[in-house]
Amino acid sequence: MKTASRAPEAVSPEVSALLERRAGRSRALPKLEEESIVWLAEFPVGEEQYAMPLEIVRAAVPLKLVTPVPLSPPHVIGILRFQGQIITAMSLASLLGGRGWREDPAVLLVVDPGVGRLIAFDCEQIPKPIGVAAGLVGEARERSRGPVAEIVLPGLRQLNLLDLRRLMDRRAAEKRP
Amino acid sequence: MEQLLAGFVDEAAEIRERVTRSVLELEKAEALAGKSFEELSRGLHTLKGSAATLGLAELADLAHRMEQVVLPLSGAAGPLPARIADALLLVLDVWVARLRAIAGKSEVMPELKDSLALLDELQQAAKPATEVASAGEPGTPAAPGRDPGPAAGGRDDATWRVGTRQVLALMRDVERLRELRLRLDERRREMEKGVALLSRLGIIAETAETRALLMGVSSAVAADGEEASDVIASMEEGLKTIATLPVRTVLEPLRRSVRDLCRQAGKEAELSLVGAELSLDRRVLESLQGMLAHLVRNAIDHGIEPPAEREVHGKSREGALRISVEQQGNTVFVEVSDDGSGLDAERIREVALRKGIAPAEELSAMATGQIHQLIFRPGFTTRDEVSEISGRGVGLDAVRNQVQALQGSVEVQSFTGRGTRFILTMPAEMGSSPVVLVRCGEYRLGLPMVAVESSRAARASDLQVGRARIQLKHREQLIPLRDLGALLGFRQPEAPAEGQPLLILMSQDRKLALGVDEVVGDRDLVIRPLPVELRHLSAYQGAATLARGELVLIVRPDWLLNLERRGDAVLTGTRRALVVDDSLTARALHRTALESGGYVVHTASDGRQALEQLRHAAYDVMVCDIGMPEMDGFQLTSAVRARSDLDSMPIILVSARESEADGQRGVALGADGFLSKRDCVSGRLVSEVSAVIARRKAQA
Repeated sequence: MKTASRAPEAVSPEVSALLERRAGRSRALPKLEEESIVWLAEFPVGEEQYAMPLEIVRAAVPLKLVTPVPLSPPHVIGILRFQGQIITAMSLASLLGGRGWREDPAVLLVVDPGVGRLIAFDCEQIPKPIGVAAGLVGEARERSRGPVAEIVLPGLRQLNLLDLRRLMDRRAAEKRP
Repeated sequence: MEQLLAGFVDEAAEIRERVTRSVLELEKAEALAGKSFEELSRGLHTLKGSAATLGLAELADLAHRMEQVVLPLSGAAGPLPARIADALLLVLDVWVARLRAIAGKSEVMPELKDSLALLDELQQAAKPATEVASAGEPGTPAAPGRDPGPAAGGRDDATWRVGTRQVLALMRDVERLRELRLRLDERRREMEKGVALLSRLGIIAETAETRALLMGVSSAVAADGEEASDVIASMEEGLKTIATLPVRTVLEPLRRSVRDLCRQAGKEAELSLVGAELSLDRRVLESLQGMLAHLVRNAIDHGIEPPAEREVHGKSREGALRISVEQQGNTVFVEVSDDGSGLDAERIREVALRKGIAPAEELSAMATGQIHQLIFRPGFTTRDEVSEISGRGVGLDAVRNQVQALQGSVEVQSFTGRGTRFILTMPAEMGSSPVVLVRCGEYRLGLPMVAVESSRAARASDLQVGRARIQLKHREQLIPLRDLGALLGFRQPEAPAEGQPLLILMSQDRKLALGVDEVVGDRDLVIRPLPVELRHLSAYQGAATLARGELVLIVRPDWLLNLERRGDAVLTGTRRALVVDDSLTARALHRTALESGGYVVHTASDGRQALEQLRHAAYDVMVCDIGMPEMDGFQLTSAVRARSDLDSMPIILVSARESEADGQRGVALGADGFLSKRDCVSGRLVSEVSAVIARRKAQA
C-alpha cells in the first residue's frame, strides 16, 4: 500500500524568508480578540446611519408582500406572513419621530427584538454587516437612556445604535393614556 | 377482519347519531313519515345488513327486531310514542356497546337478554299491526344496491396514528409553501418588468431572443405558481380534515342527553344549537365534550324548573337551553345558557359558610358576582341529596380545571328567575370559519358568514338620506346603512350608488346594511389573531390567508354594529389631507407627520385611486409623490387641475429626487409646493402644508 508522506515539504530559502516576513507583519498587528467585536447591521434612515445587532436580524424580505391595516397607528405599515407567522411591519423613520428619507424603502428587516415575537422594520437599503469594538458599543449603551445610543466610530463617523426593545416600549408608553 | 370491524365501529357510531336525531325529531312530529322516518328505517337497515355481512348474527338479529318495531309504524298519525323511543335508544346503545366490545374497543360486553325482551314486548303490544316484510332476514348478506358497508372500505379504512406535533409541523410547512408561492408571483412580475424595460429601450431586434426567453420563463413560472396554489390548497384541506372536526359532532349527541335527563328529572327542555357548522381543533372538541355534558346536566338538574313551576312564573312549560360556539381569531367562545331559576346567591353563601370555603366576614363582603364564582370550588354543591343527575359536588370545578388546562377560562353570569349563562373561552390553534370576502377601495376584507344575513343591491328608492345618517328600507324595516370604507377610516362616508352591493349584517338582534364595492365570494378560512402590536384594534377578529397566499383582514361584525351606537368616527371641522404615494412607507410617514399636525389623513396608492377619492370627498390639501407607476404625480396634478371643483385645492409634490427641474415642472402644472422626501421630516411637511393652504386662502 502506498502512503503519502506527512512531513512538511522542503521550501526554498526565499519562500521561507517571505513566510517569515508575513508572520512578522501579522504578529505586529494589534490583536482583536473575537469577544472584543460586536457585529452590527448598518443601514441608512434618511441622512443618518443606524444599526442594530446583527444577531437579531432574521431576514430581509421585499416590502411588497405587506397587507396594510386600516385604523392602525401611523407607524404601522401593515402585516405580513413570515415562516408561517403573521407579523407587524413598522416604519422605522416614523417610530424615530418622523425622519426624512432618501429613497422609498423596498426592504423589510425581520428581527427578533427579544420581546417574544418577530417584528419587521422597513429599510432604505439592505444592511451591511459592520464590526464595532465592544468597548465603544458598551460605552454608548451606558450613556444612552433612550432607544438610540450614539457611537462615534474612527474618523468621527456617527452611528446610531438602536435598542428595539426600548423603542417598542416607548411606543407602547405613548399609546397609554 | 380487525380492520373491517374497526371501520364498522366508526360507521355504526355515525349511524347511531343519525338514528338518535331521527328518533328525537319523530318524538315531536305530527306523523311517522317523511325524512326523519326514512332516516331511522335506513339507519337500522344498514346496521342489520352490515352486521350480517361481517357475520355478527346476534347484532344483525337485534337490528332486525328494532326494524320490526319501527316499520309497522310507517305513516301512523301522531308522534313516536315515548315508550318506543326510549326502547329504541336504549337498545341502540346496547347494540353499539356490544359491537365495540366485539371489536376490542371496550371491555364491557353488555347482555342482549333485556334488549330482546324489551323489543318483544313492544312488538306484542303493537299487534295486530300489519307485519311489514323486512328487506332482508337476519344473518343474510346485504342486498345489492344498499349501503356498501365496511367491506367496501378495504385497506382505505386503515388508520395511522400521527402525533399532534407532526401535524402542526406540517401545517407550518404548508404556510411556508404559501409564502414561497407569493414570492414566485413576485419573481414573475420582476421578469415582466424586465421585458417591459427591454422593449422600452427600442432595440427590438437585438433583444428579441432575450425577451422571448424571459416571457417564456415568466409564463412557465405563472403556470407553476397556479399548480403550486392548487397543491397547497389541497394539502391545507387535507390537514384541516386530519386536525379538525365539525362542532356538531359534539353538540348533536347532547340532544339525546337533554331528552334523557329531562325524562329522568320530570322536566321539559328544548336544546338549540348555534355555530354547529364550525370546524374546530379535535383536541379542543374532545375536552369540550365532557365539559358540555357537565354543564347541560347542571342546567337541567339545577337550572330549569319543573313545568308546573315554570307556568306559575309565567314561563313556557318547556325550558330553553342554548349552546353557542363562536370562533374569533384563535379563540373559541362557548356559551351554555338556560332560562331557568338562576343561581341562588343566598343559598351559595350558606353552603360556602357551612363547608368552610370562606369565613363569614369574607362571604358577607362579596358581591353577588363573586358569590356566583364559588360554584367552581372543589366539592361545592347546593344539593343536600345526591340525585341520579348531579349533586355529587363533582362537575363545575372539573369544568374549570379542564378549561384552565387548555389555557382558557370560564365565567358564570346569572339572574334570579331569568337563568344562568356559562361562558367558556379557549384558545384554538386550528379551525376554520365561513367568511364572506368583499372589496372596498383597494382593500380586500372578510366578514364572518354567521353575521351576514343576506346581500342585495342598493336602490335609490329604498334609501332615506338624512343629514346625519342614511337608512335602508329592507323587508319592511328601516335599518341603518354605513359604508365599510368610511367605518374603517380610509374614505369619506357617502350614500351608496345605484346597484352598489350591500351586505345585511345581523348580530345580537341588531341589523346594519353595509356598503361595499364588490362581494368577491365566500371562503372557508382559518382566522388567526393579529400580531400583539395590533390586537388593540377592536375592528378585526384577525387575519386569514387566501389561496394565493395573500393576507386578508377579517372585520368583527360586533364592532360594526356597535359603531352604529357610537356614531361616525369622522371628524367635522378638522382639516383633511389626501396622501398619494405608491410606497407603503411613504404613506405611513406622511400620515405620521400630518396626523401629528392635526389632519385627518386618507391615503391612495396610485393616481387613479386618488381621482376616485377626490370624486367622493373634498380635501384641504393633497400630498402627492411624483414617481408613481401608470399615472405619475405630474399627470395627477394636471388631471386634478383640469377639474373646476378642484382647481383651488393645494397640492404638494414630493419626490425621492432633489430636482429643481421637477419642482419647476410641478409648479407649471399647478402644484403649490415641492419637497424632497429627505426634507419630509414631520415638522417641515406640516409647516409646508400650512403655508400652501394659507397662500391659497390669501389668493381667494
